[in-house]
Amino acid sequence: MNVSPRLVITGSGAVCGAGLGVAAIWDAIVNGRTAVSAIRQWDATRWPVSIAAEVNGVDNRTLVEDRKLHKLISRTDMFGLYAAGAAVQQSGLTVHRDTLESGAVAKFNDRTGVFAGSGGGAYRSHHDFFPLLTASGGDLQSFGRELGATVNPMWLLKNLPNNVLCHIGIRHSFKGTNACITNQCMGGVMAIAEAAASIRAEEADRAVAVGHDAPVEPETLLNYYNLGLLSGTAVRSFDRQRDGTVFGEGAAAIVLETEAAAAARRAPVLGEFLGSGCVSEATGIVDVCPDGDGVARAMGLALADAKISPDAVGMIVAHGNGTRASDASEAAAIRRVFGASPPPVTAFKWAYGHSIAASGALDLVMALHALREKIVPGIATLNSVDPGVAPLPVSSSPQAPRSDTALISCRGFGGMNAVLIVRAAAGSSSA
Amino acid sequence: MSARRRVAITGVGMVTPVGNDAPSTWASLLAGRSGLGEITGFDATGFTTRIGAEVKNFADDAGASNRKLAKFALRTHRFALAAAEEALADAGIHPSPSSGHRWGLSVGAGMMGVEFEDLRLLHTHCAQDGEFRPDGLLGEGYPADPVAFCRSQPNAGLALLTRRFGIRGYATAVHTACASGGQAVGTALKVMRRGVTDFMLAGGYDSMLNPIGLSGFCLLGALSTDNETPTRASRPFDASRNGFVLGEGAGFLVLEDWESARRRGARIYAELAGDGNSLSSFRITDSPPDGDGPIQAIQQALGDAGLTAELVDYVNAHGTSTLMNDRSECAALRSVLGKEVDRVAVSSTKSCMGHLISAAGAVEAAVCALAIRDGIAPVNANLETLDPDCAINVVRTKSRPMRIRAAISNSLGFGGSNSCLAFRHPDEVPTADAVVHERTT
Repeated sequence: MNVSPRLVITGSGAVCGAGLGVAAIWDAIVNGRTAVSAIRQWDATRWPVSIAAEVNGVDNRTLVEDRKLHKLISRTDMFGLYAAGAAVQQSGLTVHRDTLESGAVAKFNDRTGVFAGSGGGAYRSHHDFFPLLTASGGDLQSFGRELGATVNPMWLLKNLPNNVLCHIGIRHSFKGTNACITNQCMGGVMAIAEAAASIRAEEADRAVAVGHDAPVEPETLLNYYNLGLLSGTAVRSFDRQRDGTVFGEGAAAIVLETEAAAAARRAPVLGEFLGSGCVSEATGIVDVCPDGDGVARAMGLALADAKISPDAVGMIVAHGNGTRASDASEAAAIRRVFGASPPPVTAFKWAYGHSIAASGALDLVMALHALREKIVPGIATLNSVDPGVAPLPVSSSPQAPRSDTALISCRGFGGMNAVLIVRAAAGSSSA
Repeated sequence: MSARRRVAITGVGMVTPVGNDAPSTWASLLAGRSGLGEITGFDATGFTTRIGAEVKNFADDAGASNRKLAKFALRTHRFALAAAEEALADAGIHPSPSSGHRWGLSVGAGMMGVEFEDLRLLHTHCAQDGEFRPDGLLGEGYPADPVAFCRSQPNAGLALLTRRFGIRGYATAVHTACASGGQAVGTALKVMRRGVTDFMLAGGYDSMLNPIGLSGFCLLGALSTDNETPTRASRPFDASRNGFVLGEGAGFLVLEDWESARRRGARIYAELAGDGNSLSSFRITDSPPDGDGPIQAIQQALGDAGLTAELVDYVNAHGTSTLMNDRSECAALRSVLGKEVDRVAVSSTKSCMGHLISAAGAVEAAVCALAIRDGIAPVNANLETLDPDCAINVVRTKSRPMRIRAAISNSLGFGGSNSCLAFRHPDEVPTADAVVHERTT
């Protein structure tokens, strides 16, 4: 039987409330700076929750250079295309391709996969119909008649959940195997897991994987609040006083290829992808298993896929979304898998909020950077660890990773759980 | 070379505009009965297109035997629950508390589903003059409904299906527009080959036959406007075709390991033998005229299944009945099938049931499984004058009895995602050695 080739990460890119680019986000995290602040996309001063970690002060031209495209895509697509573009650029993939002879270029493009995890849609896209609803006075017949004169003919295209996938392909001429995953919070992590699986199965030689989302909008905020999922102040993962999550937005992307291919073109290697696991708890839309069943099983599958034992893991980036039920069940699962002495555990949502489909991809990119820096950043909002949850090595101060390997846990609606495991490149340090 | 795991299709379920289960859908398709007509679900008389392919007489509680789940289900989710239930019953095997973790789910799900009534409510409270004022949501009168919100989540269907059937393994929802259903089934095949699951429920569901969904396609000018002759409106490959007809529904397959299906004496419709998946990366709405993109997907699917063009007897085409899609797809088929193209029977069942968008690829995969079982290629209805740019062997006039050794099904989406699935007759499945041989010769 063929031995699976080693998969390496040769590029990464990210944007979120905490910064534009991996280095800027890292700087915010290690310095305990949170991006959570008053919402700016609308006046939320009267709202029961008025905070989020929004991407502010970044010009659309900085995110997507081609101004013509701005009219054809939505806010979340801007983030996704930026992150993917940054990852491709860092990897040097397209520069390398352009040195190839023409026959080899076509094969290169056909063998380059693209995997996107998308939020799947937004309420704001439907607001484009409000003027028409007003003009038609609620009468459907006149709604239909006035449609063409009132709504942008490209409305549907602007709001396709798979826009980032398509435009990465069009921009870079990548034509390989692909997917757009619309599994709510799982989008980004499953895009990465499927990208890796496609290379292992020899369906692609390399792949771009991105997760992106922009959930900060009034309807979503109000509904999450009504479901009891939002905090009015901060994400306090594993803290005694935690009272919910806070929205973020943004995107993160990586480029994956075989170690041999990266070595052949002397590409810089950031780290190695080791394994993934994904399971459902079959609990319906919002509920989770209190004992952390899904988290524990996803971790077990990812460890088996990576062919490593729990004690080889040097740090855990938990989902840690700050809700009572999710953090408690996640802590229970970590103890079940890692026993009495798990490696240092942290979570990043205090810094850049919960960006739903982008969240796991962002956590992975930042975990890889943390490994390279050999620092497990503290959870800056952690004051007093909840004595009611299984004890974990979490801290508000930095810790040292136990090894060069990180496990990233991601959870979402639908009782979904996914886990990724990555290792820093040998001898790597960006210091 | 290691023996690769083989995957059997042992159950099918469908809810479509031509039948609320697989047997009635299949009977309609074989008879060429149209499911197209005037839209009745809402007043569409003001729209440029007033026709569609609606699922008819669908009981609101069908499939949702768990009442609590039903209130979380949109129309599209109820189709999914019913088709999935039929597929599992058909296969005669269900996830159990002890096997649920070895079952997976892969679905092609539609775009975000905000119901028109919910949008109207938002408009009344927040945007009466057309401009959105978020504070209207906070007013006394606005009935914020968390259940409506849950229904609108992109993975609500996945959540309902895993919960309803106790599927506790790998679960994914994909959306690549019209390719979603095909990609979901292809993903299921890959997941099983990786050994992550032993059983998969794979399918797609969609319902865009509502004012917003219809608006999106009317604005793009993608729909046929033959409002006076709905049953003739969808005519893939005909020289006079002028757009697709929007449909709705769901299709599901039960997939399981070939050997274990044999051992339990399951009836095997076909082997799900190969998957091809590519991006056209051409333009966001346009199909490449030379078939570039679909060509790679079809080639991959054949290669993945260890098939050559000589072994393919039937193609269930994407065949939307738009000018561009049908030409591009035919160019791709001519390119890949080469001299075999005149022999291979091709039909688009969208001619009878319209375009089911995210469900299309999954429903058409089920159609291929039934075509192989019964040895008959369903008719491509409404073809009178073949477009000279679509020079392929279309199954015209009536369904064609024929032994089908292998079939492929194309799904080509807006944005350029292309999916091709390959199926083999259960008696045509070669040994692993033969697969290696075919590939190396």
